[in-house]
Amino acid sequence: MANPPLKRVLVEEGADRFPSVSRILKRIEGIPVERVSDWEKGKASGPLSMDKTSLRLISFPGEFLKPCPGTKGYICCGYQILNVGTNCPFDCSYCILQAYFNQPSLRIFVNLEEKLHQIAEVLDRHPDRIFRIGTGEFTDSLALDPIAGWSHVLIPFISERNNAVLELKTKTNQVEGLFSFPQRNRIVISWSLNSPSIASREEHGAPGIRKRLEAAKMCQQEGYSVGFHFDPLVHIPGWEEEYKRTLEMMDKLIDPNGIVWLSMGGLRYMPALKSIIRKRHPKSRILLGEFVPGLDGKMRYFKPIRIQMYGFMAEMLRKWHEDLGLYLCMESHDVWEKKSWVVPKEF
Amino acid sequence: MKDLSSAPERLVELTEISDQPGPYCMSFRFDLEPLKRSINKFGLIHRPLVIENGKYKKEAIIGFRRVLALKSLKWDRAPMKVLSGDELSPSDLLLLNLYDNLSSRSFNDVEKGMILNRLKPHFSGEEIRKEYMPLLGLPSNESTRILYEKLEELDLALRTSCADGDLPLKTIKALLEMDPDSRATLFQWIKDLKLNFNQQMLFVENTIDISNREATSILQVLQEKPLLNIREDQNSNNPQKAKRSLSYLRRRRFPLLTRSEETFKKTISSLGLPERVKISHPPFFENPDYRLEILFRDGKMLGETVKKLSQLNDLEGIGDPWEEEA
Repeated sequence: MANPPLKRVLVEEGADRFPSVSRILKRIEGIPVERVSDWEKGKASGPLSMDKTSLRLISFPGEFLKPCPGTKGYICCGYQILNVGTNCPFDCSYCILQAYFNQPSLRIFVNLEEKLHQIAEVLDRHPDRIFRIGTGEFTDSLALDPIAGWSHVLIPFISERNNAVLELKTKTNQVEGLFSFPQRNRIVISWSLNSPSIASREEHGAPGIRKRLEAAKMCQQEGYSVGFHFDPLVHIPGWEEEYKRTLEMMDKLIDPNGIVWLSMGGLRYMPALKSIIRKRHPKSRILLGEFVPGLDGKMRYFKPIRIQMYGFMAEMLRKWHEDLGLYLCMESHDVWEKKSWVVPKEF
Repeated sequence: MKDLSSAPERLVELTEISDQPGPYCMSFRFDLEPLKRSINKFGLIHRPLVIENGKYKKEAIIGFRRVLALKSLKWDRAPMKVLSGDELSPSDLLLLNLYDNLSSRSFNDVEKGMILNRLKPHFSGEEIRKEYMPLLGLPSNESTRILYEKLEELDLALRTSCADGDLPLKTIKALLEMDPDSRATLFQWIKDLKLNFNQQMLFVENTIDISNREATSILQVLQEKPLLNIREDQNSNNPQKAKRSLSYLRRRRFPLLTRSEETFKKTISSLGLPERVKISHPPFFENPDYRLEILFRDGKMLGETVKKLSQLNDLEGIGDPWEEEA
């Protein structure tokens, strides 16, 4: 994927003093730049607009590294979220970030480098603990990387530490930029996968599954460890055949020995997201399953549907390779137990 | 703005004042009777304010309802404050009426929508959000503004229900997203079955979901024979019809869940549980724990109940109902 089609760059008050701003602006020369002094200016044009053609450069006042909050009543994998920006150029119908209309535009936190010492302090305080860190929770880790240059900051930083693994989670196929780094240790490039039809119908603007897997193959050839996330698994008529197609592509393109982890999670959403999805993506089919309120208040597929999907996928994946580091994302103990998976005490 | 306390007062012929709600009117669904009673008893205490509108009749800026009450009471003329058309700008006239109303009453949702629509030509979206929406007790956001503005587009019956508080905004919001025919039909169902707020949302949501999932229209879903039969059943009252309609739609929308619930219910009823013992499943089977409830009056009764329970043969048959079906 080429750079996102930006129409303007908004540099928020206070962001200008960070050196990364001039580097970013140089990478996207020619796009009009506005300095914005208050919150109102440059807001999204309408209530349903995510304003993905505007890039906001922001000095983020909060903590960059935070444990994944998990969700009440379900097992969390103990992930650490490194918050480097929010929103991404893709427009997936199920994206949770659509519910945050007070945070429009693509957002890059330009003070990441200046906050690295804080992250280092956290890591150094717990030398015996392994931190699984990911930047792909609130944005795509690589879609904006050619502009933001996050990998230039983070890959060398993590490689110097023995107790941290960095996961760059993405739907892009623009991975060439990663090959210039000499470091490979403790860097995992991972892809969000789905069935080809869900990818084409629901993951607007994102490269198709084959392209993602071809990018993963290139990363494997370049010596990177890779991961995959079948999340969200979507239950539509013919889903088994659809997901089989993705698994067949994986078989052709990916060396399973180089996969460090592979997660699965059924589609879940906050109730408020339903009307937003209906308005922003009227042709979407993802809301049509049997969703019931989960223990955390989010809507989830009725449990036997989830169990059936995980069971099917796990069986197929295990046939392909026995040790893929398979785990479930945000699932309950009993769903783990149903398929005789060992319930983790702690990740 | 001009000080209106010294505006000239005149006896105005009521036939000169338009009885159609004009561009400054923010009243909908009001009851003239209390006002008429007050005028009958004490006369016209507060003078309406009208402007002379050159071409046509006079227009009521403040006191539109009083004018209607006076007309209804067959008064010929009444004392009023009169402004010439060019003394105040249209936006000032609108604000005059708004602040006057705010000082004496609260607005229903349709009226709030009318006000937002009338402010729109005079003020920016940002001004409306920041200054006027809080005055109306509305959250200052764009989606709320758009929703309220649309209320005025609804047909009279729907607007009336909305103003009377019979339809919550959540239902209105869902109805506004439909084509007019579907909206009218769904509204008719809500009215016929006298659904409460919660039932309305379930009815609307499940109907929309079924129509989306089966790529059929909302009208087609609502014309399904079993559903029509429920509505036309002479032997059921409205609450029974409401419950059965909702149950029908739920079964259509959640076939696996409802089947599991029915299987579980069947399993439990076949156990022959002792009296005052109840076994229930967690909501939507999401929590893995089932619930046993024993009502007893003393330890002896408890002991006997537990003994009877322990003698039941089929307790091991209780479990996740979908596994039983598999």
